[in-house]
Amino acid sequence: MVISNLEKYKNCFVEAFALADGAQAESLKYQSIQEWDSVGHMALMALLEDNFGILLDTDDIIDFASYEAGKEILRKYDVAM
Amino acid sequence: MLLHEKTAIITGTNRGIGLATLEAFAANGAKVYAHARRETPDFLALINDISRMYGIEIWPVCFDLTDYDAMKQKMKEIAASKRSIDILVNNAGAVADSSSFLMTSVEKMKAVFEVNFFAQMALSQYVARMMMRNKRAGMSIVNVASAAGIDGDPAQVEYSASKAALIGATKKLAIELNGYNIRVNAVAPGVTDTDMVSAMDEGLMRRTLEKTVMNRKAQTGEIAGAILFLASGLSSFMTGQVLRVDGGM
Ligand SMILES: NC(=O)c1ccc[n+]([C@@H]2O[C@H](COP(=O)([O-])OP(=O)(O)OC[C@H]3O[C@@H](n4cnc5c(N)ncnc54)[C@H](OP(=O)(O)O)[C@@H]3O)[C@@H](O)[C@H]2O)c1
Repeated sequence: MVISNLEKYKNCFVEAFALADGAQAESLKYQSIQEWDSVGHMALMALLEDNFGILLDTDDIIDFASYEAGKEILRKYDVAM
Repeated sequence: MLLHEKTAIITGTNRGIGLATLEAFAANGAKVYAHARRETPDFLALINDISRMYGIEIWPVCFDLTDYDAMKQKMKEIAASKRSIDILVNNAGAVADSSSFLMTSVEKMKAVFEVNFFAQMALSQYVARMMMRNKRAGMSIVNVASAAGIDGDPAQVEYSASKAALIGATKKLAIELNGYNIRVNAVAPGVTDTDMVSAMDEGLMRRTLEKTVMNRKAQTGEIAGAILFLASGLSSFMTGQVLRVDGGM
């Protein structure tokens, strides 16, 4: 089964923050839940880098403030969703 | 073989302490990304010789540390190679022409900080993130600071201050990266026989060495030995430390 970039993206949130399902990820912002603190943030970044085979710029890690903002940032790395 | 199965990135390996560290790591079984500012035929021949001598892989990685775009590109290439990085040695460093504090422009201070501090921080961020993803045991970052960063002498203000900044960062990174199995330590060499001190005033050199118990310059291998120790499992219970290697000050 081919899994879309959007699914992969959501799954990173599910795994990083131990969410019940991907739908919960869509409204998330940095520090909007306990799990998305600075440690959780770096875990999410590591999962995204692993899953999409990219190395994020430090500025993009800092700007990655929400689920939606992250989609825009990944576009810069040719990850279309 | 203290570094068997380990992969390291060492900066400034074309000469001086960096070259001695590359040899010490190769002799102890590490695979190495050998950094230099420029990919010259001489540098490629040098790492080729070391690679053959010890039967280990050495890959050149060349960029000016102050060129952040080039640094990013090279780190992306290393990340794409999927080789796990275990060790980073922030060795490359620069010193400006001799001048007193009151005769040193802030621009000149910033230029030295750029190489000796900010570039090391940027590189450490990239490499620490790669290390975090590896989740391997026994990872280590070694920063090459200086006794001048503790004593304020014999180097100029911007050099001493940049090395003091690196020591401060060493302690903070040790705390922040401990959760990822990354130890962070520094060596603080005294006067070492490299090009860096070749232009040092003779009187200042003599007075500096006379303050030490051994009253001589270090050889590069003597500093490399301390770096090897901090990079290896022999120092597994040390983090956030500054190891003076100074002939007894
Ligand atoms: N020698 C001493 O007495 C002494 C004492 C205490 C601490 N240290 C520290 O030990 C470290 C190694 O110094 P060393 O004595 O071996 O000096 P060195 O022989 O002058 O070597 C310095 C190394 O750093 C590299 N480098 C400098 N600026 C760079 C830049 N912008 N981009 C990329 N590479 C750059 C040099 O590359 P190029 O060859 O291209 O210039 C060279 O490989 C330094 O951090 C130094 O501060 C030295």
